[in-house]
Amino acid sequence: MSLLAVDQLDVTYLTRKRPPVQAVRGVSLTIGPGEFVGLVGESGSGKSTLGNATIRLLSRPGEITGGTVSFNGQDITALGEDRLRPMRWRDISTVFQSSMNSLNPVMPIEAQFRDAIQAHSRASNGQVRKRVAELLTMVDIDPSFMRFYPHELSGGMKQRVALALALALEPKFVLLDEPTTGLDVVVQRAILERLRVIQREQEFAVLLISHDLGSVLEFSDRVLVMYAGEIVEEQAAADMLRHPRHPYSRGLLGSYASPTAKTIAITYIPGRPPDLSKPHQGCLFAPRCVDAIPLCRMKAPELLPLGDGLVACHVAKMRAEAGQLPEQQGRSWRTQAAGAVFTKHTVAKDPTGAEDILRFEGVSKLYTRRRGFKTTLVQAVDDVSFVLSKGHVTALVGQSGSGKSTIAKLVTGIERPDSGEISFGDLRVDRLGRRGLRDFRKHIQMVFQDPYSALNPAHTVLSTLMRPLINHKGMSRGQAQSRALELLETVGLTPPERFGQRHPHQLSGGQRQRIVIARALAPEPAIIIADEPISSLDVSIRAEILELLDGLVREQGIAMLYITHDLLSARLLADDIIVLNEGKVVEAGRAEDVIANPQHAYTQLLLRSIPNPFVEETAAD
Amino acid sequence: MIYFVRRFAVFLLTLWAAITLNFIIPRLQPGDPAERIVRRLNPNSRTVDPNQVEAVRKMLGLPDTNIFEQYLQYLQTLVRGEFGVSYSYFPFTVTHMIGQTLPWTLVLGAVTLFIGFVVGTLLGAWAAWRRNGPFDSVTTLGATFLGTLPSFWIALLLLYVCAFKWGWFPVGGGYSGDAQPGWNWAFISSAFEHSVLPAVSILLFAPIGWILGMRNNMVTILGDDYTRLAKAKGLSERRIALWYGARVAVLPNVAGLALAVGGILGGSVVIEQIFSYPGMGRLLFEALRDGDYPLMQTVFLFIIIGVLLADLVADFLYGVLDPRVRRGG
Repeated sequence: MSLLAVDQLDVTYLTRKRPPVQAVRGVSLTIGPGEFVGLVGESGSGKSTLGNATIRLLSRPGEITGGTVSFNGQDITALGEDRLRPMRWRDISTVFQSSMNSLNPVMPIEAQFRDAIQAHSRASNGQVRKRVAELLTMVDIDPSFMRFYPHELSGGMKQRVALALALALEPKFVLLDEPTTGLDVVVQRAILERLRVIQREQEFAVLLISHDLGSVLEFSDRVLVMYAGEIVEEQAAADMLRHPRHPYSRGLLGSYASPTAKTIAITYIPGRPPDLSKPHQGCLFAPRCVDAIPLCRMKAPELLPLGDGLVACHVAKMRAEAGQLPEQQGRSWRTQAAGAVFTKHTVAKDPTGAEDILRFEGVSKLYTRRRGFKTTLVQAVDDVSFVLSKGHVTALVGQSGSGKSTIAKLVTGIERPDSGEISFGDLRVDRLGRRGLRDFRKHIQMVFQDPYSALNPAHTVLSTLMRPLINHKGMSRGQAQSRALELLETVGLTPPERFGQRHPHQLSGGQRQRIVIARALAPEPAIIIADEPISSLDVSIRAEILELLDGLVREQGIAMLYITHDLLSARLLADDIIVLNEGKVVEAGRAEDVIANPQHAYTQLLLRSIPNPFVEETAAD
Repeated sequence: MIYFVRRFAVFLLTLWAAITLNFIIPRLQPGDPAERIVRRLNPNSRTVDPNQVEAVRKMLGLPDTNIFEQYLQYLQTLVRGEFGVSYSYFPFTVTHMIGQTLPWTLVLGAVTLFIGFVVGTLLGAWAAWRRNGPFDSVTTLGATFLGTLPSFWIALLLLYVCAFKWGWFPVGGGYSGDAQPGWNWAFISSAFEHSVLPAVSILLFAPIGWILGMRNNMVTILGDDYTRLAKAKGLSERRIALWYGARVAVLPNVAGLALAVGGILGGSVVIEQIFSYPGMGRLLFEALRDGDYPLMQTVFLFIIIGVLLADLVADFLYGVLDPRVRRGG
């Protein structure tokens, strides 16, 4: 018998002002005892809503409007909070998305375990302390940290604490909602690996929700793919990897590739998810689907058994009926992948001929951190040298705290180095005065990580783009306007007139990032610093932005400094890679050389941490 | 620990700055105070008799030394608690006048502030816990509406209806003339009777800020992830409301309370004036009206010290209540 059974579940967000949004529609799923199930989808696919509904933790205005949720054979769909409370944490626990905020800031760690444990048992304080020590040790945290407050722990540690907390009462089912999003790859992998080991030992069931199909496939037994509030495919992880049947799953999988391959092609899914408050007909994915046939636009496909799994797709069904077994399709699906493709070949241009734009020579920066009367020195950047050249991308790769952001600040002149030289042509950036810096900054532009906070929500796209043109280029409003429209076209937002009038909240994440890029292009800079420009975007559109950046750099001869913790995207975009650890360059060279033949242990660690479902496949090649 | 030491150092520095400003500002005023007093004593005379001025100077003990010596003397008198003679209540000293009025203000202010804080915070927390319910709507709307009314008008209305019309309470003053100030029943009951109307007029408005502040903080916090996690943990409603909601939401209110305690010393000028209540607020008002500089300066000094001390206490309390401040990096 299944542990958790969801049957034909509907969840609707009812608001007074806007039409109701059916975030989850007719979803059925089961999870057996001890099973590790993954749930994947883009942002807005309804995956978190579904997760919260299964543990009866929906917050208003979300409501279950149809179907049932049963746990251990008991229908809990409409169970009162009083009856639910004894089951919570003892049977069903959870780790939230952004566990950064899921610990009470004014209670020490131990107290947050204690209230959960004592709410469900008669354990004495001494027993609790012993148990907390056990649990913390289990997630590789020293028990002495139980006296600490959440803000005294790093992000990764908080996440481990949240995980240990979820396991405090040995629950039968744990919901993990994006448990590692926002952490850097190395920490992410370490936590998920630890979780998998504990899960095997203690045999609790897990529903892992993530937008990152790569890591879900690696860790789960079975995977559910969700699109626009519906499950579109369900398969065992191994089958999904070998022959994903739904075009959407294929599209998602297309964003992964082995960085060591000679030719790397990653795909993306153009378009954006539908508005679920509007009426619709046919398959919801059809507008973004490359395989769509007329039937798809007329009739919604049902989730039907196909092979060993379930798929909701007319085309996949027809192909299967025509005897086209996925085995026969073989691995060819990856070459005829769903959606557009961004391919990067090993053969890059010869960098020696390119003109140098910015030189960074033997630069060091020491920060003094004051805490009370104690001061500690932090060597943020330690004797770093590199060159940015015209039409080339140089990637700066490292974990958080490796000094990447400090280098960006040094390049823009926000910080001054303690020693070393930074020169832009004949200009010494490290010696510029206030006025000199202002003139220098028109040559250097930034693309930030989070396109949501990088744009002023009160300005239209057009006025956002016109501002730098008027300030830096001294254009009249008329000139600036026509140039802004050209820029929109350059970043692929057509028709530009329509996008120009919009405000940031009317755009998708990918479109916003395009605006941020257009703004960076406006003053025709010599250098663009792109600080994790894709890490907050959905996997399905990352390749799209990379492709845009790549094209711009080559066509317009911009020197780009690409800052990231993700070696795969560095491999795709960059000509040169600099691997940074604790302020020092541990490895540097041509991108393909660094990736194909990593010398330093740290580079190897970063490389291993990339979520890559094709690892085994690559090994077999 | 370092946090507390640093806060204390900042306190001492601000206190010194405030005391020094209090010394400098009156000396920037043009004119000679002795001459002004002489002119006020003889309003009809066109000329000023230098002997008279000299006599007043002697009487008030106005200094003729240079400014640095004056400053040193000023600091010494502060330490000794000598604030000079009041002009308008001559020959009483400033210390005596403040000693007369301070207890009245302290008792009325502290009691109303404390009740207002407790009631306001509780109402706010309850409104947030049952947000968008009828209790929330009534409390929030009621508090907002009451807040728009002018408090002196309500006070006058109370005075008119309860004191003049119905005669339930005395019209003004701190106690009736036949009671002998001291620890005797007649005096205490009389003082209580006299304080009811001022207290009620203050209490009608006192909780408003606390209600709205608490409600808004707590609504935000109840939507935070850690409160949702508390629910997922299966904790009792009471524990979630108190330890996850109110415990965090009360922090800004506590800081506000400590600051408000500092403000008590200044008294409520308007309310004390309306009810002829013998407190610091009325004293300050009279000192301003009569140009009684020594008294004014000392009352200001008391207010400054009160606010600064309260600020220090607020910082300390925050350090105790919010670990993020104490050990924050």
